[in-house]
Amino acid sequence: MTRTLPLTIVMIAAAVLTIVLCTFTGPAGFGIPSAGQGAADIVGGIRLPRVLAAFFVGASLAVAGAAMQALFKNPMADPYILGTSSGGALGASLAIVFLGGFFVPIFAWIGAVVAILIVWSIAGRRGVISVETLLLTGIAVSFFFSAIVSFLIAIAGQNVHQIIFWLMGGFWNASPSDAILSACILVPAGALLFFMGRDLNALSLGEETAAHLGIDATRARWAVLGGSTLLVAGAVSIAGCIGFIGLVTPHIVRMLMGPDNRVVIPACILAGGMLLVISDTLARTFFSDLPVGIITAFIGAPFFIWLIHQRGMAT
Amino acid sequence: MNDKYSIHAQNLHAGYGTIEIVKSVSCTFAPGTFTGIIGPNGSGKTTLLRTFSRVIPASGILLLDGKPVSDYTPAELGMALGFVPQDEGRPFPYTVMQVVLMARYARTSRFAALVPEDYARCHRALAETGVSHLADRSIRTLSGGEWQRVLIARSLAQDTKVLLLDEPTSHLDLSHQSDILTLMRRLAGSGSTIIGVFHDLNLAALYCDRLIMIQHGELVADGTPAQVLTPKKIREVYGADVVTSCHPATGRTFLMPIKTANGTNSAGKPLNVQVISGGGSGSDLLHFLSGKCLSLSLGILATTDTDYLTAQALDIPCVPVLPFSPIPAHALEKFKRMLSRADRIILSVHPVGTGNLPVIGALSEVDPARIIIHLPEGRDFSSYDYAKGAAAAAFENLCAAGAQCTTSYDGILQHLYPVAPETHE
Repeated sequence: MTRTLPLTIVMIAAAVLTIVLCTFTGPAGFGIPSAGQGAADIVGGIRLPRVLAAFFVGASLAVAGAAMQALFKNPMADPYILGTSSGGALGASLAIVFLGGFFVPIFAWIGAVVAILIVWSIAGRRGVISVETLLLTGIAVSFFFSAIVSFLIAIAGQNVHQIIFWLMGGFWNASPSDAILSACILVPAGALLFFMGRDLNALSLGEETAAHLGIDATRARWAVLGGSTLLVAGAVSIAGCIGFIGLVTPHIVRMLMGPDNRVVIPACILAGGMLLVISDTLARTFFSDLPVGIITAFIGAPFFIWLIHQRGMAT
Repeated sequence: MNDKYSIHAQNLHAGYGTIEIVKSVSCTFAPGTFTGIIGPNGSGKTTLLRTFSRVIPASGILLLDGKPVSDYTPAELGMALGFVPQDEGRPFPYTVMQVVLMARYARTSRFAALVPEDYARCHRALAETGVSHLADRSIRTLSGGEWQRVLIARSLAQDTKVLLLDEPTSHLDLSHQSDILTLMRRLAGSGSTIIGVFHDLNLAALYCDRLIMIQHGELVADGTPAQVLTPKKIREVYGADVVTSCHPATGRTFLMPIKTANGTNSAGKPLNVQVISGGGSGSDLLHFLSGKCLSLSLGILATTDTDYLTAQALDIPCVPVLPFSPIPAHALEKFKRMLSRADRIILSVHPVGTGNLPVIGALSEVDPARIIIHLPEGRDFSSYDYAKGAAAAAFENLCAAGAQCTTSYDGILQHLYPVAPETHE
């Protein structure tokens, strides 16, 4: 409790610093590129929107991950692992193929909602959800939606590049409007989940426990599902499928600041944003603009395995 | 309408999906009482408790403090009723204090922080269940018993008038069981309504004012522990044989699972065994023999003798006589008839004075081959003689005449079944 405030200040400072430093970092090295109109365009018109979009998307995924972990009473939950991202990608792909790229965020949201409802109805209905059931259900849903996406790719014709973009996950074309869109989703949905911090705490001990503690458990559940799928859909429609940010960030935050969701949610906004901005900067600076999803998977998958190992040791 | 009851249930039905678990339950719970809900596994005890707390939808009438429970907002319900689950998943490493503070959520706006009074209440709750020292520990590191006491502390910190407990002592050791249940009695004494599901009938009988027995989701008995916990009822509902008695230290009903005597042997007529004991020498022996498919009888015994109480509890026929008076002739006659019917006579050596010497004397008329004498290891007959040598001499004579002597229960069994000495429990 006592170290929450200093840690928050440090994290805010670190987040601002990260945004600034990464905006001035690029393949050309660190610093403001040699003067000129082109340089200003690169920094202000391309890099800044990209850094901000990455920050908001990372924050969205991390907050959604933390909320889902509480709701599913399971620290292994994550939008990517639970198939929510695949659902979003499927919705986005459908919009690209059949609607020529309009309504992508809305379709991404519908896809994400459908995916999480399927997982919830199979694995989350009553009592304690075992890690195995949750992960297997998520994987099954993920595979199913990916198969449909692959089918769409096969028939997509000229839109195939756009779809493959969703699957890789990246910020190549991030525009100022992307940054604004992601902020517009993050602010209300993040605020909703932040003010539901204690509902999340109670829900993470079980819906019945929450009800016995005086929480409107049913309403809280739908609000958390709605808010977190909205965040995932926004993230997916801007940057495609980026895995593991939603899993790794809440874990790091809980290690630093404890599991109280009233602290975890805001801290995830800062930490998730920073993680993805740094990952994306690495991607575009050192790996000739590799899709950032590959970087996060490289870091996140071993972390996930380490978590499973830790749990095995604990039980 | 029914303001004097904390909980008023009428014709309550509840279940999961299409399966009905609670069937037509009607009962009321008054403030200041501690009620135990008992019943066999799967009878619907926990479901009934969860129906009271509204987490399972129910049909019928359910009033909480005179107001339909469905009219309560979630927060109001959280301030009116506390619930202690048997166990609760612990996926995240909250500290004990963080978990207990959740009790105060119902009383605080989501936009406000908890105030010092909330912390003070929670610290008091931790102290009441004896887990103050764990306040800053991660809940994932607690033992099952510590966690259960934390859950109880959390429900205390909710400050509710009604407290529902689902097997609150299932993970607790002996001393914590009594601490927690004494605490519950105290809460009931100060006006709370406590309802607990119990597996351990003796604990329930010891601490509850009233017991409700559930079978197949229906209420089958309701009353004081002594009214509800009769051997007949237990046999009907649990299918178990028990003996009930009054606990000497507490005066409360107390029961013990036991195979009662005089079971029949499927292989034919059970062996008729007459046991002669006194001064408590037979209690343990009778208990040992009572599961062995024997037709037991006992006597002669004074009604104040411990062995007489044992015989009553185990439902063994006995020849009783008044204490501190000579054995009347008709009792001795009855005893002799029993002796003549008995296939085997077990004489558990016990203190014999001039008063009960005729009992031993009667044995001289019996075929000594039918007599088995049990003399505890390391004792001799004279140490039981309170008749100036006459008793010891009577014992010696029986031995000399050919009665079987043994120092162990196994020895008794071997003499009871000389051909097939296998024992069946």
